[in-house]
Amino acid sequence: MSTAPSARELERDPKPNGDPSEGYVRLRELLVGPEQARLEELQRRLDDRQLRTEDISQVVAEAIALRVRRDRGLQHTLNPLVEEAVRISVARNPELLTNTLFPIIGAAVRKAVAHALRGLVQSVNHTLERSFSVEALKWRFEALRTGKPFGAIVLARSVRYRVEQVFLIHRETGLLLHHVARPQQVVQDSELVSGMLTAIQDFIRDSFTGSPMQELETIEVGEFNLWVQHGPTAILAAVVSGTPPPELRHALQRTLEEIHNRFAAQFSAFQGDTSAFIGTEPLLAECLLGRQPRAAKQSHGFFTTAVIVTTLLVAAAIFLLVRRESRWDKLVNRLRAEPGIVLTGAEESWRGYRLTGLRDPLSDDPEKLISASGIDPGKVSVRWEPYVSLDPKFDVSRRFLSERDALEQQVLRFPVNSAQIGLEQLVKLDDIEVHLINLQQNANSIGQRFAIDIRGHADPTGSEEKNATLSQARADAVLNALVTRGLPREMFRTEALGSRDPVRRAAQADITELNRRVSFHVILSPEPPR
Amino acid sequence: MIQKKVCMVGAFGVGKTSLVSRYVRSIFSEKYHTTIGVKIDKKVLASDKGDITLVLWDLAGEDALTTVRPAHLRGSSGYILVIDGTRRNSLDVALDLQRRAADAAGPVPFVVVINKADLRDGWEVKQAEADELATRGWTVIETSAKTGAGVEEMFGALTRAMMRAHHVNDSKAGAVAG
Repeated sequence: MSTAPSARELERDPKPNGDPSEGYVRLRELLVGPEQARLEELQRRLDDRQLRTEDISQVVAEAIALRVRRDRGLQHTLNPLVEEAVRISVARNPELLTNTLFPIIGAAVRKAVAHALRGLVQSVNHTLERSFSVEALKWRFEALRTGKPFGAIVLARSVRYRVEQVFLIHRETGLLLHHVARPQQVVQDSELVSGMLTAIQDFIRDSFTGSPMQELETIEVGEFNLWVQHGPTAILAAVVSGTPPPELRHALQRTLEEIHNRFAAQFSAFQGDTSAFIGTEPLLAECLLGRQPRAAKQSHGFFTTAVIVTTLLVAAAIFLLVRRESRWDKLVNRLRAEPGIVLTGAEESWRGYRLTGLRDPLSDDPEKLISASGIDPGKVSVRWEPYVSLDPKFDVSRRFLSERDALEQQVLRFPVNSAQIGLEQLVKLDDIEVHLINLQQNANSIGQRFAIDIRGHADPTGSEEKNATLSQARADAVLNALVTRGLPREMFRTEALGSRDPVRRAAQADITELNRRVSFHVILSPEPPR
Repeated sequence: MIQKKVCMVGAFGVGKTSLVSRYVRSIFSEKYHTTIGVKIDKKVLASDKGDITLVLWDLAGEDALTTVRPAHLRGSSGYILVIDGTRRNSLDVALDLQRRAADAAGPVPFVVVINKADLRDGWEVKQAEADELATRGWTVIETSAKTGAGVEEMFGALTRAMMRAHHVNDSKAGAVAG
């Protein structure tokens, strides 16, 4: 608007061969010509697509860098674009991506496989270790009861380890992002420890593996283990006392992944300000798993005692059963081998035993064998049918007994008031001698000790005193006669019965005559003579 | 709290360790140098943004047998290049180390210190050579482990430069402006 009056002035100004508007144009050119040209140039550049592209291309890298530093908006915007681009690239030319990945895919697969195998071996070992422990059975039961995974129970209940400290370390710089420790834990300067740990990892990787893909995962120092889990931008290092179960590594790995997920923005913006990671505290504190190993030992001791006692009880029960069985078997075998006993049934039940069979009266008493076997005779019911055994042992016994009976039938008679053995009695004495010799022989072969009681008798007439003397004299006479015939004196004893043991069941007339006699009596297993 | 990883590099025997030993917190012994090649110390400085912790990676001195591991340099926010004023050779080693450090750690701030200022009369490194470093735009500080001169200045200058980079994060800033 301000130019209007000056334009009018120009119009009034007379100019030769001049169109007044031409002057105006000239003036305008003089005054704003250069700006005009620049505006036109700018307009041209804005309109010209080619030029505009060139302009932007000069600043696009810097612009992106600037924006990325400010926030993560660009990443989010580009994300679907990049995914789509990769998809198209793979669809169009899969070989390109294959070739690009080829140099690292082998190492990546090897690492993954090695990792998985190591975990497998470790868990197989632990499974074997646990298969036979009381603890493990309890845990399995608890897992069944509560529906929790077995691994979770192991981590919560295992009493062989305790996580004492956990370090979250920035991978690239070795700076400590956050650190948690149990109370009363002696903590060295954790920032220095964190740095040194990173340096040691570099050192070990450079010195021994030579491969950047390999990581230090475990350090053992005395009763302490340092377990290190590696993530793309951070490392989780746990100081563990005792023997940690492999499940702990999975728990650490899960925590580390969780931290990577939740703190992705803080990681990418990290320039040394660790206050951004205070939020990891609860996650890290969750890793302080396990219990005091000392308390563990006590309860472990209790279980050990329980196991030992149970084992001893079971062993004792087995021993008693086996002994019972073996005693019974021995008794049965002993009875089967015993002459004069035929076992037809031997039953064993929880209530007791039952024996049935045939028994020769001459055989050893089975009750004695049962008592000797160690089995309570009260628990054994027996039923023996008598029979006669043809066993040679009983043959001799039987002959011994028949000789005994025959001898005891023999009687030597005497005249009135005499101890003289009459001539007619000598034949009997011969018989008696034969019986005695047979008796002696049979007794030797069956090991039977015996003695012969020579009993002198008198008839009831006369005084008892006289009869005693007379009967003693009669017994002595027979003794002398037998010893004279060569029989051993120690075989005999004499006894004066007077008229105290008269012969009965005889005709009254003969009775006095029959009572003047000497009879024989066999004593089995006698008391040794004094 | 802000933490920064800082490496100390230089030729063997230039006095890196003794330069800082009185000014830092340390829990590891000197043995770590000869065994794993690095010893880590800590220096806390106050700033208007609160305390700044420098985690100092004191790398074993470079000589014919030992070379600095690039892995140790990685992730550093800055580094201190130590030269022994009495040994001309340590300057050459430092120039070589600077190139390798820039490769491994990227264009992060650093300071050059010429140590043994107390023995200035016996220096083999000439003033002109020191000036030449400054003309590259590098911060050059003379220090003495014996008297402690220049040590706090060294930490301060590097920290300021790192904090500028922290805020601006200008990836092109290679050296500290004098």
